[in-house]
Amino acid sequence: MEERLYDLIFIARPATPEDEIKKVVTSIEHACTEKGGKIEKAEHWGTRKLAYKVAKHREGMYYYHQIRTTHGELITELERRLRVQDSVIKYMTIRLDEDLKRQKKLTEKREKRAARRPRRPAATPAAPAAPAPEQQAAAS
Amino acid sequence: MAEEQKQGQEAPVAAPRAEGGAPGTAPSGGHGGGHSGPRREGGREGGPRREGGPGGGPGGPRRGKRQYFRKKKVCKFCVEKMDLIDYKRADILSQFVQERGKILPRRMTGVCARHQRWLGVAIKRARNIALLPFAGSAAGSTAPKAVEAHKS
Repeated sequence: MEERLYDLIFIARPATPEDEIKKVVTSIEHACTEKGGKIEKAEHWGTRKLAYKVAKHREGMYYYHQIRTTHGELITELERRLRVQDSVIKYMTIRLDEDLKRQKKLTEKREKRAARRPRRPAATPAAPAAPAPEQQAAAS
Repeated sequence: MAEEQKQGQEAPVAAPRAEGGAPGTAPSGGHGGGHSGPRREGGREGGPRREGGPGGGPGGPRRGKRQYFRKKKVCKFCVEKMDLIDYKRADILSQFVQERGKILPRRMTGVCARHQRWLGVAIKRARNIALLPFAGSAAGSTAPKAVEAHKS
């Protein structure tokens, strides 16, 4: 299976003590090492106001992880662990690699197009082969 | 409001329109009636742009909504060449969301079709993670009862 990139965000109750959070994060890390996943980023966004009440709380502590893995079952395992935790009130996993692939493709296409027409703001999409040599000959 | 009453039967000019629209002046002028006034104030970018419309637009059939030939504006994402709309950026996303949390239609924001689709996906993801509300104001402070029943 090719490598996949996931975003994992979970929200903990507002006044959760530090060690509870440590427990959750450690269990995430253990699951990753067991099932073969790598944590690319781990961020703490602090306590934020929630847009709506979740489990009767108006605020929550946001934690963000980015995980790279080839095993899809890792995500099931992580979600299972998060569901069990009392302090976690909401979690979400998003698969990112397709979106990033598409973004890369679009950026590359745009840069290629911009390189083909050096000094003009590339407003119109150029036909692939025919005008390109002409443009380059005219430019140089 | 006293001045409006005084003007009475005369066609009120564009200026006091924004004050809620006098209900009694139905067929006058090019404006489609007072009731679309306050509703349209929700579209932020539609405000100053609206004045030039009925004067300069094609003299087509006048409908209740005045959004006829609107939004020659370009898509903000295309201009900034943003190829990925990040659901985590609630500040960017909230520009495309109404006060009540509803997604603004394309004709109000000028976003192109492709980016509007991606925007919808990103907004829905952000709603799921409580960065944006499903309904009610973004501040969440004066949430009506419906929101609480929905999410508790």
